[in-house]
Amino acid sequence: MMWKERYRIGVDLIDNQHRELFRRLSSFIQVVQNEDPWDQKLDDVKSTLNFMQEYVVYHFEDEERYQREIGYPDYEEHREAHAKFKEEINEYVRLMEEEGFTEESIQELAARLMTWLIMHVGKADQRIGEYAKSREGME
Amino acid sequence: MKVEHVNAFYVATQEVFKTMLDLGVEKGELRIVEDMVSSKDANVLLGITGDLKGSILFGFPNDMALKMVNIMSGVDMDKIDTFVSSALGEIVNIIGGNAVTSLSNYNYMCNIAPPQIIVGKYKSISMASERSLLIPLNTEIGKFDVNIFLAETKNED
Ligand SMILES: [Fe+2]
Repeated sequence: MMWKERYRIGVDLIDNQHRELFRRLSSFIQVVQNEDPWDQKLDDVKSTLNFMQEYVVYHFEDEERYQREIGYPDYEEHREAHAKFKEEINEYVRLMEEEGFTEESIQELAARLMTWLIMHVGKADQRIGEYAKSREGME
Repeated sequence: MKVEHVNAFYVATQEVFKTMLDLGVEKGELRIVEDMVSSKDANVLLGITGDLKGSILFGFPNDMALKMVNIMSGVDMDKIDTFVSSALGEIVNIIGGNAVTSLSNYNYMCNIAPPQIIVGKYKSISMASERSLLIPLNTEIGKFDVNIFLAETKNED
């Protein structure tokens, strides 16, 4: 289980999406890391990757909208971090489409996705929750 | 090597282990070593350039490396493959980034090079015959080492 209770920021919409995001990432990692021969599972690898990528885009949009709604002061910086990450994955996938989806390149990508998301949700997204709470206190 | 430079890397290691792995990190007895050698199963070398120039070498024993990736992924790992070594490289990269940010608060502007991963023991990797500082670190899931060599390139006024 990748989702941890301490990732919770106290905003249901975001927390549920984060949980779903980790669930999809986890299925991707499980397919990448299982013992099946690479050429046999390649289609599965690609579709779980795609399934996760789609959700990343969808979730980032929702999370950014939420930040705008509450007037989150670090919105620009956060939006940029999302954009850079999306761009990085797209570039990675584009490169693999050109040069082939090797086991090594996919494992590298899986590691990058995992560490980025843990760090992002565990740290940067927590500040959104803190701001949302402080704002409630002011109202 | 100044205490605050070494400390920037220690504090960053603590913070990143807390955020990524839910683990506390305790410092053991510091030692000066003659040579920077990768003495553990999974080693990650980070190059530093700028106002400080040098290398930081993280060395993790096999079981600890696998457990770290298990904590993050929720999946059991049985060997140090590309997924495991890349994940360790990413962690060290984040630690390096945080340390460099905190060094900039002391007006030391540095950059990190992409981490190099060395799997396997006893490969000497020091470029010069400079002594380095070895910090043994302790966590609930095992002990690991951080080897630090940093030289100042900046003239002090
Ligand atoms: Fe976010």
